[in-house]
Amino acid sequence: MTFEITPKDAKKMNNKLLQLWRFIMLNLKILKAVDHSKRA
Amino acid sequence: MTKVVVIGSGFAGQTAALYLGSALGKRHDITVINKYDIFGYTPSWVWVGVGQMEPHKTTFALKPVYDKFHINFVHGAAQAIHVDDQYVVVNRADGGDELQVPYDYLIIATGARLNFAGTPGLGPHDGYTTSICSLPHAIDARDRFFEAIARMEKGERQKIVVGTGHPGATCQGAAFEYLTNIHKVLEKRGLRDKADLLWLSNEPTLGDFGVRGLRIKKQDKILTSEDFIKAIFDLYGIDWQVQTGVRRIEPGKIYWENYDGVEGKTDFDFAMLIPQFLGPGFTYFDKDGNDVTDKLANKGGFVLVDAIYGLDWDTLAETPEAWPAVYQNRHYKNIFAAGIAFAPPGSISRPFVNPNGLSITAAPPRTGMISGIIGRIVALNIIDLVKRGRMTHAERMTEMFAACIASMGDSLWDGSAATIIIYPVVPDPRTYPNEEGRDLFVTDMEMGLAGAWMKRMIHTTFMHKLQGRIGWKLIPE
Repeated sequence: MTFEITPKDAKKMNNKLLQLWRFIMLNLKILKAVDHSKRA
Repeated sequence: MTKVVVIGSGFAGQTAALYLGSALGKRHDITVINKYDIFGYTPSWVWVGVGQMEPHKTTFALKPVYDKFHINFVHGAAQAIHVDDQYVVVNRADGGDELQVPYDYLIIATGARLNFAGTPGLGPHDGYTTSICSLPHAIDARDRFFEAIARMEKGERQKIVVGTGHPGATCQGAAFEYLTNIHKVLEKRGLRDKADLLWLSNEPTLGDFGVRGLRIKKQDKILTSEDFIKAIFDLYGIDWQVQTGVRRIEPGKIYWENYDGVEGKTDFDFAMLIPQFLGPGFTYFDKDGNDVTDKLANKGGFVLVDAIYGLDWDTLAETPEAWPAVYQNRHYKNIFAAGIAFAPPGSISRPFVNPNGLSITAAPPRTGMISGIIGRIVALNIIDLVKRGRMTHAERMTEMFAACIASMGDSLWDGSAATIIIYPVVPDPRTYPNEEGRDLFVTDMEMGLAGAWMKRMIHTTFMHKLQGRIGWKLIPE
């Protein structure tokens, strides 16, 4: 896949509300995976 | 009373020490040996290296933390280990008499020995390049970067090269982050048009990072880390050259060989190249004073553990159980190795030998999160052995999750970072029978301001955690 970061993508990367959502989702993803690790 | 000794106070060693001190410190004898009396938060030395963070914000004194956890601290450098008589020989940092530190259990968590000598002309001491692999080096890199900026401000064009300084180097992620931060700093200063930036690396493909790269599904299409990093470099105007092993450096010149066996050189004004990492390189002696190092370490000085060594790469790629689970030496079962110190069974990325016989192979990364997880596993197993006589914890890198966040500018308002989530770190084609050998739902990569927030949050939370402050166990490694 040829992937390029368009001006629209660049705007999304700095959209504060969207990035707040991504921040929450990234943390949840990491915590879920870490929970699996802690049970090891 | 059981004696547990930890050599090293990095991510792995410090994590192990805190768990051991918390569980055993009051009734048993826990000792940490470290050549420095401070902890250094390595990931943020990227920011120190471009002048975006003050050095003191990346360190804290070790002894006050150890005092809280009833841990003895020996400020000195371990030199040799007597494995039958069970003691570590230490050269004290204050120049006093050599110490013998006895142990019942030993954790070797020394981190990387930086092999600048492996590439003539590499490094800030006897060479012509900079490094961000230690705090003094990062401070020196910052100063030299500022000198390059001063030249650019006078109108001089500068060629900046960042990447790997040895055909077998690792830690491409940190180097990548340093380069993107350089880009952002120059952009903010209005000097970006005065600099040519080049990524020079031993990876087989862009975005490999020593973990064989990754592929994810994005809007029903497959996106590779090669595509992702290429898009970032295109956006930032950064040139790149992979499949390259640096052989030697002279003032202003980097000499290399590539996969085709072609020898070439690249000019530079400022360069940061990661050296080859070696293991601690201790000498190990038995009760008769015989050198038994070959039972405990490989040629690189990394500690042999419960891995299956000697497999060819294709077999290793299909054998997830070849990766160690408990990081315990098979001959001396009271010796463990955590973090970078353990000998991996091979590379994660496909190895390559060029027509000249030079191996250009990215070594497997074991820093940061992975180091902390292994430190915890090893500590919990020793606690188990002390309290119950058997180990109950295990985790291979084929089961381990890692999140790597490469910042691109440190601003919490308009900064950015590339966040790469890999699960598992080492592909496991048996558990995940797809082309990647990874969980395609969890494995992900993205870029944006959220990553910049994550990176700064991780700095704060890890500095809190590794000082054993309130709630430290709740913060994941």
